[in-house]
Amino acid sequence: MDIFITPFSTNPFMVQALIAGILVAIACAIAGTFIILRGLAFIGDALAHGVLPGIAVAILLNIPGIVGAAAGSAVMIGGITLITQRSKLSSDTAIGLLFVGMLSLGVVIVSRSSSFSGDLTNILFGEIFGVSMVSIIVQLVATVIIIGIALICTRPFLLLAFDPESAKVAGFSPRIYHNLMLFMIALTVIVSFQTVGTLLVFGMLIAPAGSGALLARRIESMIAWTILFGIISVYAGLLVSYHMNLAASASITLVAVIIFFLIFIVQNIRTRGIIKETKTEHG
Amino acid sequence: MKPKLILILLLLTLLLTTACQTTTTNPQKTIVVTYSVLGSVVKELAGDAAKVVVSMPNGVDPHEWQPSARDISTINHADLVVENGLQLEGGMLKTLSAAKKAGVKFFTASDYIQVRHVGAGEGIPSGDPDQAIGAVDPHLWLDPVDMKEIVQALSQTLLNELKLDVSSRAADLENRLDGLNTTIVDIVSQVPVAERELVTGHESMGYFAQRYDFKLIGVFIPSLSSQAGISAANLAALKQTIIESHVKVIFTELGTSSAVVDTIGKETHVNTVQISTHALPPDGSYFTFMTNIATIITNNLK
Amino acid sequence: MVKDLTKTLPVTTSRLNIGYKNEIVVPDINFELGKGEAVALIGTNGSGKSTLLKTIVGLIPVLGGELRIFGQPPGKVNRAAIAYLGQFHSSAFILPIRAIDVVRMGRFPVKGLWGRMDSEDDDIIKQAMKTMGVENLAEKPVRSLSGGQQQRIFLSQVLAQRAGLLVLDEPTAGLDAGGRELYLQALHAEMRRGASIISATHDVQEEAAICNHVLLLARKVVASGTCTEVMTPENLLQTFGVVIAGDSNLHVLESPHGHDEPEKH
Repeated sequence: MDIFITPFSTNPFMVQALIAGILVAIACAIAGTFIILRGLAFIGDALAHGVLPGIAVAILLNIPGIVGAAAGSAVMIGGITLITQRSKLSSDTAIGLLFVGMLSLGVVIVSRSSSFSGDLTNILFGEIFGVSMVSIIVQLVATVIIIGIALICTRPFLLLAFDPESAKVAGFSPRIYHNLMLFMIALTVIVSFQTVGTLLVFGMLIAPAGSGALLARRIESMIAWTILFGIISVYAGLLVSYHMNLAASASITLVAVIIFFLIFIVQNIRTRGIIKETKTEHG
Repeated sequence: MKPKLILILLLLTLLLTTACQTTTTNPQKTIVVTYSVLGSVVKELAGDAAKVVVSMPNGVDPHEWQPSARDISTINHADLVVENGLQLEGGMLKTLSAAKKAGVKFFTASDYIQVRHVGAGEGIPSGDPDQAIGAVDPHLWLDPVDMKEIVQALSQTLLNELKLDVSSRAADLENRLDGLNTTIVDIVSQVPVAERELVTGHESMGYFAQRYDFKLIGVFIPSLSSQAGISAANLAALKQTIIESHVKVIFTELGTSSAVVDTIGKETHVNTVQISTHALPPDGSYFTFMTNIATIITNNLK
Repeated sequence: MVKDLTKTLPVTTSRLNIGYKNEIVVPDINFELGKGEAVALIGTNGSGKSTLLKTIVGLIPVLGGELRIFGQPPGKVNRAAIAYLGQFHSSAFILPIRAIDVVRMGRFPVKGLWGRMDSEDDDIIKQAMKTMGVENLAEKPVRSLSGGQQQRIFLSQVLAQRAGLLVLDEPTAGLDAGGRELYLQALHAEMRRGASIISATHDVQEEAAICNHVLLLARKVVASGTCTEVMTPENLLQTFGVVIAGDSNLHVLESPHGHDEPEKH
């Protein structure tokens, strides 16, 4: 049992990383659930990468990265909204190009920094061991906001996923709630990127929620499972990173993905097993 | 079904982490040095009196390298951390300041020397603020005399803070560093002062140049870690500098690709020579390290 | 025809033009729907049925003429008063949602954002599912149900709202005979309760039979009136055009409206 506890009991920075990771897991569980509900995975990915130029500019100007990320995501959401409203064709292409453009812009901006590759690594992969108490408090506030939005807006979010027209007729403006959902996702990305980085936050958004979707029968239990898997991923990932000297954020994301595929495989074997049984019964 | 799944997952986690062993407590004091060159000197000073651990593997870029969780843990539990200062360890800044705040004892090498700034004509026109004229130069290990000052100060610190008496080793080391200085003076004397020009792509030879009367000319040499490939504009600027300064040889360091080297050679008919300024030679000795540098420079300029 | 538009009938229209942007899909619609009554919109795809329904619930703006729902312009109506079931649903629900959760969504327009659900709501939900014969599917994830079962769930959702006006687009799509039977019984019950119904349907035979009023649409109003008045071969020819030779025509001709022979061309 010692190997599970010692890294944390003897290192305050590991405990801080764990707390930051748990907050990320909770925020991503909620946002991830609604992303899968609404089929917004692509937009989630776009937002995660689109914040890069904002963060890069913030680094150059020496202001907190979070401020830059917030600005970047506002631009991204504005851009995505404009595209989906104006365009009659599928907006996937335009959104894809928008986020690739933002990503390239971000890298170009960061390259002007003297510690270019270091900064870029930190943005893409996070600095979970360098998270300060201030960051954690900001994360906590943001997570509370995200939980608040989810609790308040569950009904319109559900209706929106079921049928946007029904939602409108029922008196919930699809546009307002869609934008609220995008805001919720953006907020999650903004506070999570410092911990796991922009490249991998998408993994934390989708993998635990995907696992939860496979196991749960109802939304409430899906969110519960997702939070559990998220926390397990953070804990196990940090342990692996510590004991085997591996990159932390990638370890965490890898564990989350492995959990998903384990459940996926086990469920498929079970289904095949049932089919086999049925076949032999009816011989 | 679900409890079984959780069990499987926990077992998996257990499996993943079983490969490791717990560390046993060591009665010896632990000194952590951030990078390899400084580390080799500290090792020679401490000998068996303390356990010396170097954070960075030899050969990585000290400006960029980032510590892992275990590295951070080692630093946080060190009895003394020896750092370069002047923000050399760019990827470790957060870790180091957090450790200082937590009360870990620190020895900053740059506190004990005369800090140098990048002079006129030496700056690298790459837009990188660390390489611009006026910037602080952190590459203090390239001057054996400065290293001697550091050894003196460190020996005192080891006594005061860790109650370790290495005075005899210190005296010996300081003598040897004096000897190294003399050796290098001899080697470079083969090059007339007027011809002592170091054209480099990275602002690291400042302290060496200062000590041994060399003139530094900074040029922008595209390297692997910079943003673009070899642009026509860069090459043109390089050619211009070479012509104006009657340069015979360019010294390159960390991470300049051979493709770049070949192109420069073809375009400018100037020799490009690799010197290793941030990494120790195979025998791990600071003395071999400095002698090699002096020798290579001299051989190519005389 | 002068209509008294100040009466708060569920639906009143006068010279109503419906369509999109600058294109009128169906011009000059005139009918009234009273409390406890039902009107069926019959026509092929693209005839304007869905357009009319969407205009009534306020999804599409009126292009001309007058339309009043409970005396209000569409869009200004109390949300709980109208229940709408569109034609297409994201039935590929990846998420785990139980059937009962989908039916529960029918109470949302009544409860709004904050209103707590109580035992009365639970009873209504249970009753709605019973009416459509799916109360035993309550705990099942929607994704595991068949198309027909899902449609019954969606209908239960509409019933659970206890709205004053039910606006339904192809409500019997995917239902088997048993499901259609239950649906028609449910319609009767709703009308007895005082609700009004307007539905667009292909199910000419059964559903039209219970409606007070039928509108035949083919990008214009072909005919408007009671079932007997409207269901003539000439009208149906105009409404369904080429489809005459197919099933629907034979279906209608075999209805108790007295046409025993297939249409001769």
